[in-house]
Amino acid sequence: MTLLMPRSILLGNLLLAITLTTSLSATEPVRLTHDGSLKRDPRFVNEGKELVYCYDEAPDLIRMMRLHLDKPNPKPMFDNSGDKHQLEPFFSPDGRYIVFTECTGNLSARLVIREQESKKDAYITHSGRGGTRSPCFSPSSDLVVYAFAETGPQHLWSVKPDGTDKKQINETQGISNWPTFTPDGKRLVYSNSRENNYEIYSMNLDGTAEERLTTNNLMDIRPMVSPDGSKIAFTSTRDGNYDIYVMDIDGSKIKRITESEERDDYPTWHPDGERLVYVGERAGKFDLYMVQVP
Amino acid sequence: MLEFGQFKANTCNGVGRRGFLKTAASIPVALGAGIPTLAEAEEARRRAKAKSVLLLWLWGGPSHIDMVDPKPDAPMEYRGPFGTIPTKTTGMRFTELLPRLASRSDKFSVIRSMRTSNGGHPGAGTVGLTGYEENAGPVQPNFGSIIAKHRGQHDALPPFFYVGQGIPRDLPRRIEGYGGGTLGKAYDPFLVSCSEQGKVGIPTLKMLPGMTPNRITDRRHLLTQLDQTQKQLDNARISDWNRSYQAAYGLLTKPGARQAFDLTEESESTREAYGQTTFGQSCLLARRLVEAEVPYVQVNWSEYVETFTPNGDFGWDTHIYNFELLQDRHCPIFDRAFSALLDDLYDRGLMDDTLVIAMGEFGRTPRISNRAAREHWQHCYFSIWAGAGVQPGRCIGQSDAKAEHPVTRPITPLMAGTTISELCGVGARERAEMKVLDGGSLIHELL
Repeated sequence: MTLLMPRSILLGNLLLAITLTTSLSATEPVRLTHDGSLKRDPRFVNEGKELVYCYDEAPDLIRMMRLHLDKPNPKPMFDNSGDKHQLEPFFSPDGRYIVFTECTGNLSARLVIREQESKKDAYITHSGRGGTRSPCFSPSSDLVVYAFAETGPQHLWSVKPDGTDKKQINETQGISNWPTFTPDGKRLVYSNSRENNYEIYSMNLDGTAEERLTTNNLMDIRPMVSPDGSKIAFTSTRDGNYDIYVMDIDGSKIKRITESEERDDYPTWHPDGERLVYVGERAGKFDLYMVQVP
Repeated sequence: MLEFGQFKANTCNGVGRRGFLKTAASIPVALGAGIPTLAEAEEARRRAKAKSVLLLWLWGGPSHIDMVDPKPDAPMEYRGPFGTIPTKTTGMRFTELLPRLASRSDKFSVIRSMRTSNGGHPGAGTVGLTGYEENAGPVQPNFGSIIAKHRGQHDALPPFFYVGQGIPRDLPRRIEGYGGGTLGKAYDPFLVSCSEQGKVGIPTLKMLPGMTPNRITDRRHLLTQLDQTQKQLDNARISDWNRSYQAAYGLLTKPGARQAFDLTEESESTREAYGQTTFGQSCLLARRLVEAEVPYVQVNWSEYVETFTPNGDFGWDTHIYNFELLQDRHCPIFDRAFSALLDDLYDRGLMDDTLVIAMGEFGRTPRISNRAAREHWQHCYFSIWAGAGVQPGRCIGQSDAKAEHPVTRPITPLMAGTTISELCGVGARERAEMKVLDGGSLIHELL
């Protein structure tokens, strides 16, 4: 079988494997994709062996892709996505579900919770136009939390994977977005804009005991709690453009991870908790990079 | 790098939008208008040195309060989630979404007191590109058509280009003000597209089956194909198509013209500076067309340019996901491409005789909607001007505390068109002869 593989592909795979193996222990970011298209929302699956991300397949279509880190060519996440934008994927820790936002037409988007094996979908919609945002799964895989604006301020909502028991979690003013669970499942970390710009907060699942974690005049967005619950990675423009930062779970000890003059955004933790993958813009092109967190 | 594609056509057919269009408020067209004084006209003529105009048409209605006119002290239901940053212009702040432009504000001036008369895309698009409502008699010509008629046909290249994979449209029709209007179809824009890879497409030639870049220089083959294609067309369409075809053919058979479309002649660093996006590479193509002395280039952030809604892009029409789209896609793309364009024009010494404008057809509601987004807002919006005698580093006009209305003299699209024409040397007499831009006045604050 191997002997039938073209030499160029063999060499390509070998080089990729060497590059990844070598660089995983280095501090320099490793480039994981090379097409340069607009990308977003990387997520690790399959115990960190694969990445799912979204990219502009065409100027009019955002497609979800699956990249095995040992293979050079990403493949579509779904075979029959049609012409619908699919973005913001998040996988249930038990591997049973994927939740994502699906744009179905102008001014309309819905949340899709798909049971991966049966392909059975639960659609989470709200009345009128509007779009759900930034879904995530609880560590116990029995709850999805997402952001939606129904009456002005954008709040956080929760729903069960079968689409039942949809309810609003918080009553905060401003725009709440990018919820993520702590590993014990007891608290949510998210961003809110009520203090003139996006700051990162945490609160209990019932919306109580909110704590502000960042204080900064510019945006702190897309918080992602590390697998061990000790750190939060996030994007901020505090140093002039979009860069990746890591802080302790209580908001202390903020470290800047990326320092490019171009954009770095959409951080996500590798399951080992020692590395981050993000979308980096370099020379005007967007690709996935992996970096060791110091 | 030439491709023979066909522009897709799709519509913004959101439920309720028709109704919105029908009920959109209408205000007098000539807000603040007045015939330029002799002194103003003389001053504009003295300054008239725009060999080319490059309009970045931000179709859909970009949110002024989230970009260049932030109101951090407004109530929470207005001000939005973005922080503000200083610019190089004293007293002017942008939101954090435009850091590159903020650091270059000494190269352009911003008008924060634009106002238009129409709150729907087709109507406001026509007003924005012609100065007049589209239902007030014969459709007036696009500003670019006026300049095209005044300048006439350049050697190999048409005088008026649309760059952008798609033509501004909303609802199932092209907006009336996209082209020559009362001046005739001869002054319609010539359409080209540009992909994020810098591949240029000419949709007119898609109608020739089997056409390839190599075959385009084979006149005999081309004529054969033309004859066959004409037989397939109904009579009504032949003349229109012939005109476009002749322009395309003439353009592509002249090496100088073909060269203008070849982005591979640019250095890698230049192409990278604009960003690997449709809008970025379209801006680079526009600069090449300006360099080739095309009088008027309109780059459309329009259908199928960094879309978010599947199979139908509504540009900056952010009725949902306003804050996410601006933050994740539109503003980073615009910030990079526009900044690179300004740098490039300055570095090449083209800024003195190139007028660069960025604007949409209106702004967006300063009050955040129930869906955490913003709707159409014609009462106050922005435009950005640079080059060709425009004094840079100015913040012109002022909006009220909630960015709802201008508190200084409102600047209208008719005034924008009049100023463009004056800076291009199309004075009041020439405009009167063409019967265009009647009653328009200069935006003298720019000069």
